[in-house]
This record gives sequence, structure tokens and C-alpha cells, in this order.
Amino acid sequence: MSNSSSSKKHGQDQPELSGPTPKSHRAKMGKSEDTDKKNLGKKLKDVEISIPIVYGNIAFWLGKKASEYQSHKWTVYVRGASNEDLGAIVKRAVFQLHSSFNNPTRVVESPPFELSEAGWGEFEIVITLYFHSDVCDKPLNLYHHLKLYPEDENSSMSTKKPVVVEFYDEIVFPDPSEAFLSRVQNHPAVNVPRLPPGVTLPPPIPVEDASKRRKGDTKDHPLSQWFTNFSEADELLQLAAARQQVQAHIAKLRRQISLIDGQHHQHFKSSSDQ
Amino acid sequence: MDAKDILGLPKNSFPALEKKSRPHKESHRKPDGISREVYALTGGLPPLMPSLDSSQLKKKPPSHEKITWQWLPFTNSARKDNLQLYHWVRVVNGVPPTGDYSFAKYNKSVDVVKYTDEEYDKYLTDPMWTKEETNQLFDLCERFDLRFIVIADRFPSSRTIEELKDRYYSVSRAILIARASSSGDVATHPLVKEPYNVTQEIERKRALSMVLSQTRQQERRDEEVVVEAKRIAELRMPAKAVEESQLAASNAVPEVTGRAVPGETASPSNNAQLPPFTLPDNASTIASLRILRVYLRTYALDQMVQATTSSAGPRTVKRIEQTLLDLGVNLKPRVPTKAVCAEHLELRKEMLTLLNLQKQVQYKEAEGSPFCDGSYNEAPGTPKDWTFIPDSMNFGGERVSKKDQKRKGHGHPSSAGHKRPRKKASEF
Repeated sequence: MSNSSSSKKHGQDQPELSGPTPKSHRAKMGKSEDTDKKNLGKKLKDVEISIPIVYGNIAFWLGKKASEYQSHKWTVYVRGASNEDLGAIVKRAVFQLHSSFNNPTRVVESPPFELSEAGWGEFEIVITLYFHSDVCDKPLNLYHHLKLYPEDENSSMSTKKPVVVEFYDEIVFPDPSEAFLSRVQNHPAVNVPRLPPGVTLPPPIPVEDASKRRKGDTKDHPLSQWFTNFSEADELLQLAAARQQVQAHIAKLRRQISLIDGQHHQHFKSSSDQ
Repeated sequence: MDAKDILGLPKNSFPALEKKSRPHKESHRKPDGISREVYALTGGLPPLMPSLDSSQLKKKPPSHEKITWQWLPFTNSARKDNLQLYHWVRVVNGVPPTGDYSFAKYNKSVDVVKYTDEEYDKYLTDPMWTKEETNQLFDLCERFDLRFIVIADRFPSSRTIEELKDRYYSVSRAILIARASSSGDVATHPLVKEPYNVTQEIERKRALSMVLSQTRQQERRDEEVVVEAKRIAELRMPAKAVEESQLAASNAVPEVTGRAVPGETASPSNNAQLPPFTLPDNASTIASLRILRVYLRTYALDQMVQATTSSAGPRTVKRIEQTLLDLGVNLKPRVPTKAVCAEHLELRKEMLTLLNLQKQVQYKEAEGSPFCDGSYNEAPGTPKDWTFIPDSMNFGGERVSKKDQKRKGHGHPSSAGHKRPRKKASEF
């Protein structure tokens, strides 16, 4: 946000910026910001970009090392659903912790967007995501209830097996700007829809070299073995089975109604004949 | 106390009540100007109608007016015979009231048109009427001030009231038009403007006599038919609405629903029972989401679900959610991708449809049973199917305890595949 005034100046002497090849995220952001005000500021109607994310926490019990106020070590995070780098979309994440923590407002300026702390109590963490300026100027709040103790009464606390609570969700940007869409159209963390006919995008920005990108992803994350696998297919199968059942009942009821109607009609007729 | 005496109640049976009523009575004090005896008749209840302003009751006439009532003679200007009669008159300060007899103004007479022989030959000839008959009619009209029932009674030849009226009004109109200097002069005259319509009048009386001569039984039967017709219209509406919403959903064309069935609309109160027109709702939800510029998929789904079930009551929503659990579906999808959310929403819509159909079946069965005692049971397979649904799906039927519902739900062969009811769903 701080460079917005200078980038505006830039924009005036660089009118055509549709296909820059930036060296880094940051440089790219500055430029797309001023293209935003030019031809690429156009909004694409009936297109939505969605970013599958997973947010939650992993908590380890400290066992013997546990003290009265620090019984658990936990990490709260927002990651790409398939552990991709969210840095192209999310500029900054702010974790609002319980007021009993030192500096309860924790700002994470670069991916991976995670925060580790130690404590003893569960509370709700508000995670505010700020996006790059071509993405959306409004922040988005996620609410996560920090979980340290296993839900199941029977499973005893162990230092080896952490408590993992994660939620899958998707950040949806309705009517994204063309600049945003063209920037992320080949990005692995982003679901870009099929474009409506007649809409053409400027050539995609080449993805930066792998080493740069890997920095922000969570693929080799030390905690990645605990990450939950969210399967869309399972969910769809389950829904399809349920729908099939409901539809069968609907069909049955329809038949029943027509049957009753038929009898009704006959009876109505015969009773009015009397 | 009085009421207790009348009812023969023991005096001390409700001491608490008595204590309570005593101060209560005091709060309604007897208004001024009403005698105690009269007020006692009201039982101390406040009057339903505002009583006379009490100041009015005690108002004395101004002292300078001295009022006497005197037996005085009077004449009536409405009479032609100068008959003198007497009546009591209110006399103020010894001056009797002057002016005409106050009821004289009510003696109205009708100006019946008079025609000459010449006019008759020129304008009034009618093959159905002779001149003598017409003359007779007009004489009687004059005599009985257009009281056609009396006229018809006295009329020598047998003519219906409608015939007499028709002749009288058509003659009057013809004369009126003939005598007018221009047609514009009489255009606004009621006789010209609204001519007597014999056929309509006959029809009106026939219909009226039919309604009035109906027996109570016939009346009841009519009512039943109307109720039945209304019910059929009601039943057709949800079915049609369901079809249309499905059609619209599959085509993804907005606008089609909503206004499409005005002809079938029975009464606005029925709309509450209809499956909601989800499409317009979703459109507005999508529009409001768009304004946010960024949102979570789960938030969008929540909004859509709310919009879909907004017309259904909380009990219906609960029932749908219980059934979702019984079917092994998470109330909130674990992996809410776009496709999953769409499917989830469709499933909920279908459940609403199912619930609606179930209501219809129940209604029809309840309605139908007095008509055709037990004949449904003869239909092959029907009773079995019928009991099956409420048990396994927990739609409609009576409230079963939760444990019961679950056991039955999982006992059902097709839902056996979903092993766990996923307790986790409640966390979301």
C-alpha cells in the first residue's frame, strides 16, 4: 500500500504494461497495480476465481516439559489446499491471538502464513487475510477455534501424535480484474474458470523459477505429514448417493399422488353423480 | 358476593380471589350521572360503549327558557282537505313554533308523464300493447306512485311486473325524447341514460329467487364443492411450482419461475406451503455476494441454504438436517468446492420437494378417506410403500425419539453403506 503513490507516477510514463515479466512478486505487484488503473482494471463479469485453502492448527502436547502455562506447542496456519504457495494472492496474514499473549496481533508478511506459539488454553483466533492490490482491496476474516486437547475422551494425550483441526474452504473472488486473472491463470494454487466466450486474456505471465516459488509453499513442511487430505471425490460420491435416494423417494411419492388423484377423481365423480 | 349467591358457592371458598377483586372494584368508580342501581346492573364492568357524557345528563336548560308542552291544532300542507288535527307541541317561553307541519315534506309524489292522443299515435304505438292498456297502466302508475307490485296486482289483464315496467319506462322515455328540443338536452336524464333492461331484470330475479329458495342442504353441498375446488387448485400449484423450479434449475434460466403461474394462484396464504422458488432467491444471494468482492465458499453456501429454506419453517429445516445426517451427509460439506456446494444445495432442494410431496400425500389421504372408506388399501402395494417412507426417511411422520430415528435410518438397506453418521459435522 505504501508504494501506491509512486506507482501511480510510474503508470503515467509507462502506459503499456500488459505483459511484464517481473523478477519477483513484489516487483510484479507494483506494476500490476498501475495497470489496474489502465486497460486491465476491467472487471470480468460472471467469472469467479477461487483459491482452495486449508486453515487450522496442529498442537503438540509437551509431555514432561509441559509447564502450567505452556502445556502445548501449537501452530496455526493458512495454507493452499494442495500446499501451493499462496503468496501470489495473499499479501499478508494477521493472526489475532488471545489478549493474554504478548503482542496478541501477529502479522505475517510472507508465505507460508503460519504462526507458532506455546500455551495452555483454547480460544478463537481471527485470521485476517490481506490480498495484493490487483486481487481485492478488502480483507477476509477466517475464524478458527484453536484446539489443543483431543476431542475424543478416550484418546490420551501423547507427545507423538498431535491434535490436528483443519478446515477446507475456498476464497472466492467474484468478478475479478483482468489483471489478476491474467497474472494467476496458470498458478497452481488458483482455480481459474473457463472464460466466457469473447474474453481473451493477455499472454500468461511466465511462472518464476522454481526455487523462488518453493519458498512459500508448504510441500516440504515439517508438519506436512499431519495435514489432512481433503477429497472432493468422496464428498461428491456421498452427495450423489444421497440424492439418488431422495430422488427415488420423490418418484415414489409422485406415483402415489397420481394414484390417489386417480381414485379421488373417480370417487368425486361417482359421488357427484348421485 | 351476588354472583356467588347466584351460583350457590360457599362464601369463603375463594378468599384469595375475593381479596383480589375488592381493590379491583374500587378502581372502577361509579361514573357520575349514573344512578347506583343502574350501575350495579353492569356488575362493575366497564361499559363496552362509551356512555353519555355525564355532564350532559345533569345539564339544566338555560334559565331564561321556559318550556311548556301544549295540545294545539295543526294543518298538514301535504293534505288537500285541510283536515285539522291536534298534537302536543313544545312551547318555548309561550311562543308556539311556526311553519309547516314537520312531516309534510315526506309526502312525495311521482310526476307520471301525461301524453296526448296525438303523441301516442306518433311515438308510442306498440304491437304488444293497446292504447287502452297503456292508459290503464298510466292511471295505475299515477294512483299507486309507481309501486309496480301493487299496479301489477290491480292490472286487469295478466302482465308481469317486468312487462309493465318496460312499457312504462319506454313510453316515458319516448315522450321525453320527443318533447326535447334537441337530443343533447335529455341525454343525461336517467330515463335515457340508463334504460330499463327487461331481459336482465328477468334474469336477475330468476337468479335471486334461485339463491333464496335454496335449501340448507343444497347450500352445504355448494360450499363443499367450492372448498374442493380450492383444494384442487392448491394441490396443483405446488406440484406445478416444483416442476417449474426443477425445469428452471436445469436450464439455469432465471425469470421463468415466479410469475409463471398466475392463473393457478388460489390465495396468497397458500404460498407459505409451496416449495420456495429457489432460483430468484439464489440470484439475489449471488448478487449480494458479488458486492462483497471476496468471500468464503462456505459463507456463500450458508447464504444459499438460508435463501432456499427461508420460506420453510424451522421445524422443516430441522427435519431436513436430521435426514441429511441419517443419509450420512455432512450438514456442512467437509470439502466445500464449487461442485460439492452445488450438489449439496440441490440435495437440500430435493429434500424440500420431497417434504412437500409427503405433505401432499398425507393431506390427500386425510381428505380422501371419508370419501372412499378403505378403498386405498385395495390398491396393490400402496399401504406398504406408504408406511415405509416416514419410517426410513423420518419425513412427515410423528415425532420419533432421536435414537429410534437413527436406528431405523441405518437399518435401511440403502443407507447401510454410510457407516458413520459423522459426528464431526456438528463441529463445523
